[in-house]
Amino acid sequence: MFLSSDDAKSIADKVLARSKADACTVQIHGGLDQSLRFARAGATTNLATAEANLRISSHIGGRIGSCSTSRFDDKAVAAAVARSEEIARLLPVDPDYVAPLGPQNYGFSDRYDDATAHLRLDALADAAARVIEEGARVGVDTFGCATTARRFNAYATSAGLFAYERRSEIDLSATARNRADAWSGWAGAHQFFADRLDAERIARVACAKGAHNATPVDLEPGAYTVVLEPEATTELAFWLIRTMEARAADEGRSFFARSGGGARLGEKVFDEQLTIRVDPADPLAPEAAFGFEGVPHRARAFVENGVVTTLYRSRAWAQKTESEPIPFAQNFVMSGGDVSLDDMVRSVRRGVLVTRLWYTNIVDRQSLLLTGLTRDGNFLIENGRIVAPMRNMRFNQRLGELFSNIKALGPTRRTWRAAGEGGAPAAPAMLVEGFNFSSKSSGI
Amino acid sequence: MAPAAPPSTIETSCPRGRSAFALDRALLYDLADIALTGARQNGASYADVRIGETRREYAFAKDDRLESFDERASQGFGVRVLLDGCWGFYGARRLDPQSLRDGVERALENARAVKRIQTQPIALERLPVHEAEWIMPMGVDPFEVPAGEKADLLLSIIASARDHGADFCSASLSATCEERFFANSLGSRIHQTRTRVAPNFQATAIDRASGRFATRDCLAPARGAGWDYIVGAGLIEEAARAGEEARAKLGAKPVTPGDYDVVIDPTNLWLTIHETVGHSTELDRVLGWEANFAGTSFVKPHMLNELRFGSELMTIVADRAQPGALATIGFDDDGAPAEAADFAIVEKGVFRNFQMALGQAHLIGLSHSNGCAYADSPTTFPIQRMPNISLKPNPQKCSFSDLISTVENGIYVVGAGSWSIDQQRDNFQFGGQLFYEIKNGKLGDLLRDGAYQGRTTQFWNSLSGLCDASAYHLDGTFTCGKAEPVQLAPVSHGSPPALFRNVRVLNTSDDA
Repeated sequence: MFLSSDDAKSIADKVLARSKADACTVQIHGGLDQSLRFARAGATTNLATAEANLRISSHIGGRIGSCSTSRFDDKAVAAAVARSEEIARLLPVDPDYVAPLGPQNYGFSDRYDDATAHLRLDALADAAARVIEEGARVGVDTFGCATTARRFNAYATSAGLFAYERRSEIDLSATARNRADAWSGWAGAHQFFADRLDAERIARVACAKGAHNATPVDLEPGAYTVVLEPEATTELAFWLIRTMEARAADEGRSFFARSGGGARLGEKVFDEQLTIRVDPADPLAPEAAFGFEGVPHRARAFVENGVVTTLYRSRAWAQKTESEPIPFAQNFVMSGGDVSLDDMVRSVRRGVLVTRLWYTNIVDRQSLLLTGLTRDGNFLIENGRIVAPMRNMRFNQRLGELFSNIKALGPTRRTWRAAGEGGAPAAPAMLVEGFNFSSKSSGI
Repeated sequence: MAPAAPPSTIETSCPRGRSAFALDRALLYDLADIALTGARQNGASYADVRIGETRREYAFAKDDRLESFDERASQGFGVRVLLDGCWGFYGARRLDPQSLRDGVERALENARAVKRIQTQPIALERLPVHEAEWIMPMGVDPFEVPAGEKADLLLSIIASARDHGADFCSASLSATCEERFFANSLGSRIHQTRTRVAPNFQATAIDRASGRFATRDCLAPARGAGWDYIVGAGLIEEAARAGEEARAKLGAKPVTPGDYDVVIDPTNLWLTIHETVGHSTELDRVLGWEANFAGTSFVKPHMLNELRFGSELMTIVADRAQPGALATIGFDDDGAPAEAADFAIVEKGVFRNFQMALGQAHLIGLSHSNGCAYADSPTTFPIQRMPNISLKPNPQKCSFSDLISTVENGIYVVGAGSWSIDQQRDNFQFGGQLFYEIKNGKLGDLLRDGAYQGRTTQFWNSLSGLCDASAYHLDGTFTCGKAEPVQLAPVSHGSPPALFRNVRVLNTSDDA
């Protein structure tokens, strides 16, 4: 269920009018998601789902109780308000209680397009058909998913704040496997505006990557020079961003904790070339106007020329440490360079071109050791040329070392993420040395 | 639409009877009839509808603070139609007649939209018709327990960990209750409810001098159970052990990397079973339906009854009936009874059965699916998901001390840590919470920074020892992710401690 700003405000006002608590916050979010999956040139599952949720948090005597409901009728809303108050009264007092935010100034995040918001499933079938047709032309089996979403998010408080934003989304991702089921390629894209989604290009790239019939070569585990395509770079950078939390650093349980106490803010931790920014006004990867607690997203760098400049921080921790609250960011931009992917490959004597990564997970938070595997298009590079498809490998790689050892960056481009997940980051292709492949995988 | 076939007997399994259901029964029947009649009148050859309510509660505390206490309830429906060999689906968070009528129209529209890419029409086997109720047996309903009692428990868990060596601790309690009504155009009408709970915490100890830190996570598993399970789980004592062990890990010897005989505790092995056996034997993956996201599988249809998956000791069974397990239920989301999901996946090391949902069996020449469908909400499309999948204990008597007595130089792994596996479910790497030396048949010192790596069939063929049923333990998760958009499924995996020979062990601090 997609609500306009006026409709969301009307519901929020109704809740706030009913509230008997000292203070109250109201979050309303929802929308319509549609998706279509296909495999071996046939549709497998599809859906359209309309959802909306109302969450009420009642503040009573420094305690907060929350109750959510999917029903918006008067009776259900009244019951949810009463229940949130009942819960609050039963809880212990919060020693770090934070009162609701008052009015804020938000930037504008340009992420909504009416035409995209009103696409139906036939538009997704069109996108899928492009991939299927290209697969038939090239002679590979195709698999994929196309999704659209229109979502809204509203946040209101008894202290006078009302925030609302909406976004439209479309994504297409495609996997192509050769007819022997022994090699795989992938491509994907996510956009807030449907006219920016190039389904032909996704079909072409995925099928070209999947159209290799030579037996993939095996590489022995070890440290290699690696060219990471933007999808792979994004995944690595996302893990970095996820761990950049101020509280964990302040408390000494993070890679970003300084030995002897405090956080590594202001410290040069990474390569000079690493800059990661968040900006609601960024044209490539605009972040939402506000975060989970209603705190505005501002244009800011988390890492600038290798220096840690920002760690995200909840309102409670910010109050306790007398510092600024900074919301967690889903849409970030990793700055790029001017080296093309082809030039990166040409510069490698022996190494690997990696399309994307799979099942990444932090193994050790202290050193930011990350494990995972390559997937859907691993190629051996020798003497500046791609010479063969290569079997996938597991890696165990410390992110601090990886981002301190950047040899070249390509132009930044928007990457894929499934529609409905809040957007997508932008990152460049990246050339790094000493990437640690720890074992072979037969998984293709 | 009236049922097309006579119902089977009504099943009940709980003294709470119909009071366990919150939704009005007459309304459910009326809404289902609107959907199924609308689908039939518009030419659908098959239709089903899921209507239900999900209640969730989540409380989270960190150190001396209860950070959040959330209770949520959502109602909704999903209608699935098969029109001209194409699926169409629509779901919404509403329960009124007009929404169901609109939902059928949108589902039919979606089926027509995919017609242009549906080269092979969807074909379904005929399911038996059931009219039934199923209610999960449960002690104390967690939603009836006052919020303050839960908050007190969380803060007590944290205090216990911090009193015993942890510098920090966070803790959470989750509870979910699903009520589902399923009806299909064949005449089935099935009303079910179940509840699950999950305690969790993480204790962290810090060595200020070196700047090093270590964590130890809760070893008490999620269960299909009520509050009585939480109360009986010994969480305060478990938190005390966690505090001590997090502190001890800071001073533990680092693991020396190499190949070891590894004894894996059920608190760790459940996740290995899940990733290597559970996911690799899902037929939708094998058919390529998850190739774009969750992945495919190294297991192929021609390997049925042929593949030597593991050693003779390896028998892995699927079920939906195990008391306390997270995927236990009377009927799956295709309306197939729990009995259909009672089968061996691997029997004495030989691969015997795939997991299948409606419409998949005929694609590999079989006649029927085996009760492995789940939709994580009434508003989502049901897909193939795991029932409970467990490693059978050794039928011969074997205690834990018997098991480790056969190990000269090994490592004992307890608790799940970091996990990762390739998309065809072959190359895996799993961490753990605790690693101990085994020397000359006896448990030795605590070790730190361990993880083990392997290849699925090589690993299971190295299974060479297994405890008996007295050491069996059931573990599991609320949140197994699969499909696009991602759906989260609850599932349990049981096993006894097991011995695997020559497993590669890493040191994650300096070997990796």
